[in-house]
Amino acid sequence: MEEVDMDPEKASEPENVEVKSRVFTLEDDKDPGVELSGEMSEKRLQEREKISPRRITNLQRHLTTLVTNIQTAADARESMRRKELEEARKMRLELLENDMKSSQEKFEEITRGWSLTKEKVSAQELQEALNNQQLLLTSLLEDKKKVIDELQQELKLGDDHFVKDLKKQAEERDLMLERMEDQIKTLTKAYREELAQTQSVNQRETKDLLTNDTSDWEQRMKKLWDTEQARLAQRRKTVEEYEAKIHSLIFETMDKQTATKIEQNAKLQVLEREHQKTLASIIVVRLNQIKEKHELEVLTSSRVDSLQTEKKNAVAKPNNQPRKTSQSLSKDYKQSVQQYERLQKKLKQIVVADARTFEEMWATVEAEVRQLAERALEIDSLICRQHFGVAWERPPMPLAASSSSFHTERQTHRPARRAVSQLYHTEQSLQRSSQRTTMGVDAETESADVDHASMGGTATQSEGDAELEDGTLTLETVTKVMELLWEEVGFLMEDDPTLLASLEKEEQTAIKLGSLLFSFGIEEEDLPKLAHFLLKYRQQQSEQTERVCDETGESSDQAAAFDPTSDLIHPNHVLPALKSFLNQYMKSRQNSCQSSVVHTEGRGSSEDKAYWESLGNVIPDSKVQLWEEAEKTLTQYIVILTDICALDTETDSLRQQNAELRMLLQQSLNPQVS
Amino acid sequence: MDNLEVGTEGSALQDSAAIKLDKDKLKASGKCGEMRSISDPCWTQELMPPLSNLCLQSIVSNFEENPIVEQLRPGEKDFILKHLFTDLPLHMTANLISDGVYWRRCCERQWDLCDVSDYGHSWKRMFFERRLESMIELFIPDASDPEVILDMVQHCRDYIKRLSISQLLLSDNESSADHFDFGILLDKLTSLEELHLIYRVKKCGMNFEWKMLEMSDRDCESLAKAIESCKTLKRLRLQLSNIDDNQCHLLVKYLLDHPSLRELDFSHNLISDGGAKAIAELLTRSKLEILNLFDNDIRDKGAKAIAQALSENSTLLSLNLRLNRVKDEGGQAISEALLKNNTLHHLHLGANKVTGPTAVALSEVLAQNNILRSINLSCNNLGELNEAVVKHPSFRLSLC
Repeated sequence: MEEVDMDPEKASEPENVEVKSRVFTLEDDKDPGVELSGEMSEKRLQEREKISPRRITNLQRHLTTLVTNIQTAADARESMRRKELEEARKMRLELLENDMKSSQEKFEEITRGWSLTKEKVSAQELQEALNNQQLLLTSLLEDKKKVIDELQQELKLGDDHFVKDLKKQAEERDLMLERMEDQIKTLTKAYREELAQTQSVNQRETKDLLTNDTSDWEQRMKKLWDTEQARLAQRRKTVEEYEAKIHSLIFETMDKQTATKIEQNAKLQVLEREHQKTLASIIVVRLNQIKEKHELEVLTSSRVDSLQTEKKNAVAKPNNQPRKTSQSLSKDYKQSVQQYERLQKKLKQIVVADARTFEEMWATVEAEVRQLAERALEIDSLICRQHFGVAWERPPMPLAASSSSFHTERQTHRPARRAVSQLYHTEQSLQRSSQRTTMGVDAETESADVDHASMGGTATQSEGDAELEDGTLTLETVTKVMELLWEEVGFLMEDDPTLLASLEKEEQTAIKLGSLLFSFGIEEEDLPKLAHFLLKYRQQQSEQTERVCDETGESSDQAAAFDPTSDLIHPNHVLPALKSFLNQYMKSRQNSCQSSVVHTEGRGSSEDKAYWESLGNVIPDSKVQLWEEAEKTLTQYIVILTDICALDTETDSLRQQNAELRMLLQQSLNPQVS
Repeated sequence: MDNLEVGTEGSALQDSAAIKLDKDKLKASGKCGEMRSISDPCWTQELMPPLSNLCLQSIVSNFEENPIVEQLRPGEKDFILKHLFTDLPLHMTANLISDGVYWRRCCERQWDLCDVSDYGHSWKRMFFERRLESMIELFIPDASDPEVILDMVQHCRDYIKRLSISQLLLSDNESSADHFDFGILLDKLTSLEELHLIYRVKKCGMNFEWKMLEMSDRDCESLAKAIESCKTLKRLRLQLSNIDDNQCHLLVKYLLDHPSLRELDFSHNLISDGGAKAIAELLTRSKLEILNLFDNDIRDKGAKAIAQALSENSTLLSLNLRLNRVKDEGGQAISEALLKNNTLHHLHLGANKVTGPTAVALSEVLAQNNILRSINLSCNNLGELNEAVVKHPSFRLSLC
């Protein structure tokens, strides 16, 4: 801050300096104006930023220089004035002294004159002296007056000068005020410009920062979005994969099961057919035996004892062979039966094993799915409680009920399951037979009465009656019934007649019967029952028809047709009887198994489908959307939390610093106090 | 407290009314509420002042009987201070209400221009100082009652740090030329640090008399005693008071042993060599830091005396002898003194009668002295300058 003014002339002319400084400020003002009008490029602005503070300090310096200049000017003027005053006073004092000296001389002269006048005697002389004295006095007085006038004039001049000075000072003051105002104006202008400049710079900076930040933010948001969406897509894909897997597993197991079932069925059928064949052959053999016996009896009864020995030989020989064959056949039969049983057992075991594996599969898959669903629900509850602050309600759970019911059902059905395979076949055959019966009902009734007239024997009839009454049927009656049955119903069978024709008649019937029975699903053991039923049915029917005939007396044809068959059973009634028997027979079996069938069929039903779907959709779509929103907000929240976490360490360190500083402060304060 | 209860009852009634209105508003749908406000333009919720506001208003209106300030919470306190009447008696408010909004309101009510930065940013100090100043400036000796001022001083003694008195009136009595007696005042102002006095009458007009612009000898003695009694005073300014040598002598006599005086300003007076000698004696004994003898009549003898004191002094930082009649003899004496002095920072010899020899002597001083920071020799007839004066570093020299 060196301010050295070398020019001594300026001491006397301070205004010159002021003018110069004013010119300088004006130049200063002009420069930024030119710059403003020019391009406001960055470089310029930076230059201006550098220039502006210098400019303002310049302006501020000029502010004070004006005042100091004025002050020094006033000082100079004051000192000049004082000098003048002193000089004037000196002159005045000299003048007064001179005046005093001269007037004193004059006064002495006058006093001398007075003493001279006392010496004068004559009046004229006295008068002259008096006049002289008077003249002297008037001249003295005039001199004094002159001096007084001069002084007064000087005083007046001084007054005028003072007034002038005052005026001048007032003018100067006004000028100074004006200048100060001007300076204030220029200064405010400069400040305003600087302010505007800094504002614009600041605004630009903030704008840049803002745009940068927003772009950065958007980018990050986009990235986040993308990652989120990718994650979501991945999750969806995995869910779909899992669903497909489950479905494929279910279908696979089902397919496997059904394939095995079909296989087993096929095997069973084959076995059964074989079994039937063997049965039929056995029956044929028996019938042959019976026939032979009968013939033998007839022979024995018709021939005399003479021929007994021969007969014995004759009988013994042919009897041995069939016996052997029958024995071997029975053996075969037994073996085949055993084999069949074994197969059946195996089948059962397989079925049971299949069922178990299926069950386990089901259970495991279900448990898995349920676990997943539970987890989803748990997560949902967490989200609900912790993030939305909403009380979470467990959504209705159809799966629990259905699964439990499934288990209970399963347990009840387990024992019944074993009969499934049997039942399956019986049902199939039943269906088939019933279809056929309905188809050929009319044909049956028309062709019923053809063979029975020739066929039936009175002896057998009576025998049958007797046997019926006993409750036990002989083999003969049974065969008779069977034959009848065959003839009545045999047309239903599709077996190739040429195949049968090659066999003997007895064998034919046996085979036919076997197939018939098979097709009816009636087992061999039940044959006597069937016969019994048929006989009973005949009795009932005959009673009914008799009653009808008595009452009406009509339809002699019917009665005529009735007679020949009355010994065993009316052919017309065979079919209905058979039907009713079959119905009865089946009912007992069906009752035991029906529920299990329903159950197995219900396995793949819509209920289960719905159940699985409900498991899959435990979390509804709306909730999933909610989750997505929550996830979004949570990620934001996490970002904020991580920021806070980062800041936390900072605040901790600052706090520590603070504590340390406080300690230091106290330490530094304490010694002072003490 | 009765008033308070009444206030609460009244406000409770109003509150219930407000609640009823609110209920009505709730019953109606949003649109109906708007309709209501449209149909009744005067109705606003602000018309129902809360109970707390009513309580505070009652406190304000009864403040004189029951002043409650300190017990209140900050927000309520602000409310009270914003609404208190500014013409409350000073004996209540002076010590009760701390510096802030209330005193600002008091100041702004009395004066148009209030620059609080001149008063250490304290509105309270500003209020009391200006009030006391105006009281003193309008005090007429023998006519006014000094008890009024003393009563005021009792309350505000802790807040007044500076008294800047620009006029002192005379009594109507023609024979007496005495002014206000500071002896009764200054010993009571326990924190006064600055005293600016001008013995003159402003706007005297055609009643001008010389005695209006000067202090009498009795004034001088009483003031000197008063200043001596005021132990906290740091700055004394006695300007434009036509102090002559005798009065200066008298004042300095009492100031010689003042414990805290740091600045003395006798500018625009008539002090000549006699006064300057007295002040030189003061310089040797006190701890003055700033001495301002601007626009006096000090000549070489006085300057010599001051230079003598300056050569022994070790406290003075600034000496202003502007507009005096010091010639080269005095200037050279000061220059020689500066060779011994190690403390003076600023020297103002502007508008004197020093010439070349003094400048040469000063240039020699500058070659040695590192303490001086500025010398002002403006308005002197110095002649050709010595190079050494100019080239001194970190130094400000004003020559005009």
